[in-house]
Amino acid sequence: MTAREKVFSGIKSALAPLPEREARPAVPHGVADPQWLAGEADNVALFKKRAKVAGTLCFDTPGGCLSWLYEQQAKTVYLPEALASLDAKFAEFVQLTHDYTRGRVDEIDAALTLAHGAIAETGTIILTDESTPDRLAALAPWTHIAVVRKDTIHRSVADALAAMPDDPNIIWVTGPSKTADVEGILIQGVHGPGVQGCLLV
Amino acid sequence: MPCTTAMAKQLIDTYVAELPPTVQKAVHQSTATTTEKRYQLLGDDFTDSDALRKLAGSIRQHTLEHLDTYLAQAEESLTARGAKVHYAVTADDACRAVTEILLSAGITKVVKSKSMVTEEIHLNDYLANHGIESVESDLGEYIVQIDGDHPSHIVRPIIHKTRGDIARSFEREGLGDYNDDPETITRRARKFMRGKYLEAGAGITGANFVTADTGRLVLVTNEGNSRFCLAPAKVHIALVGIEKVVPSDADLAVLLNLLGRSATGQQLTVYTEFINGPRRHDRPSGPEQMHVVFVDNRRTEVLASDCKEILRCIRCGACLNVCPVYRQASGHAYRSVYPGPVGAVLSPLLAGDKFKELADLPKASSLCGACNEVCPVDIPIPDLLLRLRRRAHEEHVPSPGTPPMAGFALLGSHPLIWRSAMTFGAAKDYLPLDKMPVPYLGSWLKTRTLPKWRGGKFRTWMKSRHGRNGGNGK
Ligand code: SF4
Repeated sequence: MTAREKVFSGIKSALAPLPEREARPAVPHGVADPQWLAGEADNVALFKKRAKVAGTLCFDTPGGCLSWLYEQQAKTVYLPEALASLDAKFAEFVQLTHDYTRGRVDEIDAALTLAHGAIAETGTIILTDESTPDRLAALAPWTHIAVVRKDTIHRSVADALAAMPDDPNIIWVTGPSKTADVEGILIQGVHGPGVQGCLLV
Repeated sequence: MPCTTAMAKQLIDTYVAELPPTVQKAVHQSTATTTEKRYQLLGDDFTDSDALRKLAGSIRQHTLEHLDTYLAQAEESLTARGAKVHYAVTADDACRAVTEILLSAGITKVVKSKSMVTEEIHLNDYLANHGIESVESDLGEYIVQIDGDHPSHIVRPIIHKTRGDIARSFEREGLGDYNDDPETITRRARKFMRGKYLEAGAGITGANFVTADTGRLVLVTNEGNSRFCLAPAKVHIALVGIEKVVPSDADLAVLLNLLGRSATGQQLTVYTEFINGPRRHDRPSGPEQMHVVFVDNRRTEVLASDCKEILRCIRCGACLNVCPVYRQASGHAYRSVYPGPVGAVLSPLLAGDKFKELADLPKASSLCGACNEVCPVDIPIPDLLLRLRRRAHEEHVPSPGTPPMAGFALLGSHPLIWRSAMTFGAAKDYLPLDKMPVPYLGSWLKTRTLPKWRGGKFRTWMKSRHGRNGGNGK
């Protein structure tokens, strides 16, 4: 018998004596929505509010984002080809790079990447391999700013799950990387970004 | 029987006695805070969070009772998307499968993201014995690893360590001079781990859930380490307990909403990652190979037992945080990978023919029921503990620390003896009970004082009540 056959025959004989089996429960769409969600009219406003709770900075304009980066003294900034339209604006103030390889992981202070979408309920940013092929760029720099189109914001977690794109890797980012492993003290920026931002366009 | 207080102790008590007060305080504080946060958030967000827990429990129970169907479906979905699916009957089989995958790809360095099943099968030791370096990337797990220690909580593995302990370990490992500032510790780990991520040939992860219809592995972390394990690596190997399957994405809306809130009091864990295959020609970012090893390791035995509900568990740790015994004893007292109430049920079951060695764990509970009340998948843990106690009794497992109840059984089943005992019970107020040569009584009374005897009056009261109400009590 192969390992697979052993496992399946083990499961089958474990279940065989059951007089009846638990029926599949109905999971109505939105059954796990927080009670306050219904009172929120505007997805964009809700996203901003919840992103703040999660610790994600929101920028309304590229200029706002840029001047914040400038204040933080970010020198080298990564911009993927998909965001080439921002080049001219940024190149004036920071050193731009379009190339993000393993060897340069620590040279880049901040990276902007294009997001697939977002979730208003939780202030979550959605990245996929299609929208954000540069996995490391969205993770390794101290500052990561995801560019989110306002019309791609889902209202709820349930909505986002109902519209999962065809992609081998989808990641939801709800705030900066954090740990409380050392004596329960919250520290940001363990492996991923210490600052997680979002530029709404 | 010789009369010593040591005999009257359960095994877990000896761990409690040896736990430094600082650790006990830290464990208590952190578990209490998390319990409070969880309670607050669930209350703020849901009018009826109990109904949601029951729904989640039913989703999980339904899946378990149709596991043959859903597991086959998950396999099919993953295979269709280019992942390779393996099965492992025992812990050893699982370790061997991983080693073979790595060696055939010529990989000798791997990074790991936190996973309970890899703890359970002792994967790191196995890999080390086969010349493969495996580094834990979760901060807490890394510290556990360099200290040759064991996690003491399923969500917070180093809940039992102080910053000083960690600083000393880092100094010993050459990660810098002694510095116990938590921020510095974290930055040093960040820097060190980057090198490891970049040089690793494979990333090894677990999975919190696997959806049957879309073959998605769901991984949640707060640190982002699982994502980092999978960003530069060529090979992804996921070790997944066969019970982790759920029918579809829609079920995740319920489970994910409960998991973050129950585990750490967050609406969602920071990084929630869904993976259903290796890189494709049109999505060339991820690892070239994805392997999923479904691990049995006695789960089918648990499924066949009268404690199968424990397989619903989503490893949130809420039952540990709320448990008065865990709060006193911390995790190592449970002498196995899964501590706390979930561990008291699961560990003896997964121990197989070593059941006897852990059969005391189900007794280390006052059956207060708090674990059931917080469990996001509504596992009736106290009932399961009782079932395991019965099994231990049936298998004649000796039970140190449990007072013999035969005397009480005699009293309770013979009305005449009971009545006389009630009449003479008042004598107890005048006897030095703690000095009586009964070991259990002695140790129990050491820390307690009994109230004055008020027994024996119920019958008189009942009789007079009957008289007043015309003899039939109505
Ligand atoms: S038994 Fe329930 S409360 Fe305990 S870890 Fe598992 S899911 Fe969480």
